[in-house]
Amino acid sequence: MPAVAVLLGTLAIFALAYRFYSAYLAKRVYALDPDFTTPAHTLKDGVDYLPTNKHIVLAHHFISVAGAAPIVGPAIGVFWGWGPALLWVVLGTIFGSGAHDFGSIVVSLRSKGRSIGTLAGDVIGARARILFLLIIFFLVTLVNAVFAIVIAGLFVSTPETVLPVLVTIPLAIAVGQVVYRRRTAALIPSIIALVLVYACIPLGQLLPISLAPVAEATGISENLLWIVVVFAYAFVASRLPVWLLLQPRDYINQHQMVMALAVIMIGVIVGMDTIAAPLFRDTPADSPPIFPLLFITIACGAVSGFHSLVASGTTSKQLNKETDARYVGYLSSLGEGTLALCSILACTAGVMVYSANSGTDWGTLYVDWEAASADPQGMFVEGVAGFASNIGIPESMALVFGALVIVSFAVTTLDTSVRLKRYVIQEIATITAERFSSGSASRRALSFLARNVTLATLIAVLIPFALTMVPGDFAVGTLWLLFGTTNQLTAGLALSVIAVWVTKRHRNPVMILIPLVFLVIMTVWALVIQLGDFAASGDAMQTFLLAPLDAIILVLALWMMVEAAIALYKAWKNPPAPEGAPGGGAEGGTGTAGASALTDDSATDAGKDEGESK
Amino acid sequence: MSDEPRTGAGSTPLGRAWRRAVTAWRRFEGFHQEVFEARWGHARQREARTQQDTLRALLMLESLGVDNPVAYETLDLIPYMVADLHEWHQRMGRREFGAPGGCC
Repeated sequence: MPAVAVLLGTLAIFALAYRFYSAYLAKRVYALDPDFTTPAHTLKDGVDYLPTNKHIVLAHHFISVAGAAPIVGPAIGVFWGWGPALLWVVLGTIFGSGAHDFGSIVVSLRSKGRSIGTLAGDVIGARARILFLLIIFFLVTLVNAVFAIVIAGLFVSTPETVLPVLVTIPLAIAVGQVVYRRRTAALIPSIIALVLVYACIPLGQLLPISLAPVAEATGISENLLWIVVVFAYAFVASRLPVWLLLQPRDYINQHQMVMALAVIMIGVIVGMDTIAAPLFRDTPADSPPIFPLLFITIACGAVSGFHSLVASGTTSKQLNKETDARYVGYLSSLGEGTLALCSILACTAGVMVYSANSGTDWGTLYVDWEAASADPQGMFVEGVAGFASNIGIPESMALVFGALVIVSFAVTTLDTSVRLKRYVIQEIATITAERFSSGSASRRALSFLARNVTLATLIAVLIPFALTMVPGDFAVGTLWLLFGTTNQLTAGLALSVIAVWVTKRHRNPVMILIPLVFLVIMTVWALVIQLGDFAASGDAMQTFLLAPLDAIILVLALWMMVEAAIALYKAWKNPPAPEGAPGGGAEGGTGTAGASALTDDSATDAGKDEGESK
Repeated sequence: MSDEPRTGAGSTPLGRAWRRAVTAWRRFEGFHQEVFEARWGHARQREARTQQDTLRALLMLESLGVDNPVAYETLDLIPYMVADLHEWHQRMGRREFGAPGGCC
C-alpha cells in the first residue's frame, strides 16, 4: 500500500468526521448555544479568563496536547500490523478523542471554566476527586519515568544529538531575554534560534558527547548516568520562572514539531514509498494479544485523558463563544491523530527507506515484542531519517534531526509533568492534612509539604527516578503499558463526567458511553493480563514492584467503574437538571471551600502545565 | 497606510507585492505571538502576582507594627501599593479592607 494513499485517505476521513460527526455532537449531544456567555466573558480577569480568537485557542490547545506520546505509542503498536494500529488511531480519534476533548471543553465551559478534577467531584461525587488525583499521580509518575528512559536511550544510541539539545537551553534563555528586554515579537528570534540548533547538528556529529568514560570509571551504566542528568535538569527547570526557560524553549521546540510534521508529510508525498509492514501481522507465538493491549499501547493519538486537563484547565477559560468548542476540541483531536498517523507511516514505510534497513525484511525490525517495545523511539527516528532523505537531507543529519525531535518533545513532556506532579502532591497533601486534628504532627508535616514547593518538586522527581532505577529489562515497554492504562483511566474518568453531565440533561449519552465502556473494558482486561504476567514472571522486581503497582491501578479502575455507574444511574433516574443546579455542571456549579483555593488553582495550573506534557 | 502617496517602489506591482508580503508577515507574527501568550501568559502573570504579593506582605508588616529597617527607602513604594490595594484584598478573600489607611 502506498504511504501517500494512507496519508491522504486518513486525512480525508478526518475531514469528513469533522464536517459531519462533530456537527452531530455539537447539535444533539452537547447542544451548543451561540448565545451562551462563556466564562471568558463572565469571569474575565485578564490572567486566566480572557476571550480569545478561536484560531489562536486552537493553535495553543493543539501544541499543548501534542507531544512524544502519540509518537511512541503507535511506534510500538504497529507490531500487530499497520492495519489495526491505523484503524484504532482513526476510530479512537473520531469517536473517542473527539468526543472526549470536545466534551471536556463544553462541560467546563458550562461550569465556570472549572478543571476536570473539580468537576469530577461536583458532577460524580466527592470521592471521584480523590480518585482523579490518584490516577493523575500514577500517570505523571509513569510519564516521567518513561520519558527519562527514552531520552537517556537516545543520548546513548545517538550521542550526536546531545550537543544540539544542550545548545537549546542557552539559546532559549537568550531568546527569552531578547523578547522581554527589547519587547520584540518572538517569531524572528525563535526562528534564528532554531536555525542555530540545526546548525549544531553537524557540530554534534563532529563532537558526539558520550558519558561512556564516566560510566566506565564509576561502574554505573551510561543510561543511568543520563537519567540522573535528565532528572537533575527537570528539577531545576521546573523550579525556574517560566519566562526564563520554559516559555522561550517552547518557541524552539514547537517549531521543531511543525518542521517534523512538514518533513514527514513532504517526504511521504515526494518519496511515494510503500508500506513495508503487513496489514495484519501473524505475530510470534509468545507475543501479547492484540486485544486488549493494542488499545493500551496506543493511548495518546487515539484517546488521551491528558487532554481533558488542558481542555478544562486553560482552553475553556479562553473561548470567546461556546460554538468555538467544536472547532478547538474536535480539530485538535484530529491533529493529534495526524501525529500518530505520521508515526505509523514513519515506522512502517520511512524506516525501510533508511539505508541501514534497506534490503532487510520489516519483520526483522519488529521480530518479537521485546524488539518492538525496547526502542520504539529509534524506529521513529530512522523513519523520519528515511523520509527526510527523500527530500534531499543527508541521512546522517536526518537521523540526528529525528532524534532531536523526539528528545525535544520528551524533555518538554518531562519537566512540565514534573510541575504537574508537584501540584498533585501539594493538593493531595492539603486534602490529607485536613483529615488530621489541628496542631497534630501529621497535619503540620503535610501542611509543610503542601506549602514547600522545593520539597514537593524533589519528591516529584525522586519517585519516578526510583522507578527508573529498578533493575531489569522492562524499561520502556512495560512502563509504557502501565502508562497507557493510567492514561486511558483518566480518559475514562473524564468521559464519565461528560456522560453524567449529558445524562442529567436527558440527552442521548450513547456516543459518550460507547468509548467509555470500550476503554474501561480494555483497560481492566489489560491490567488483569499484566498482573498475571508480573506475578508469574519469577522476577523479584516485577513481582514485588510492578505487580502491586498494577494492582493499585486496577483497584482505581474498578473504583472508577462503580462511581461512574452510580452517578449515571442517579442522573438517569432523576428529572432533567435545571441550568444552574448544583453539581449539574451548569453555569452556577457548587462553590468549593477550605482547600479550594489551592485545589482550584492547582488543578488550573495542572491543566496549563500539563498541556506541554503529553 | 492608505493616505500614503502611491509613488516610488510602493506603486509598482513589485512594491505592492512586497507591501502585501510585509503585511501578511506582520499578521502571522501577531498570530504567533498571541498563541504563545495564550499558552504562557497566565503562568507568567501568576508568577508576577506572587512576587508582588510577597513585596506587599513585606511592606504591610510595617503597618502591623513590625519594624522595617528600610522604611525610609520603601516609603516611595506605598503609593504604588495603594493603587491596586482594592483588587488585592478582594483576591485575598476580604470583601472590605478598613484600617490602617482604609480602602473601601
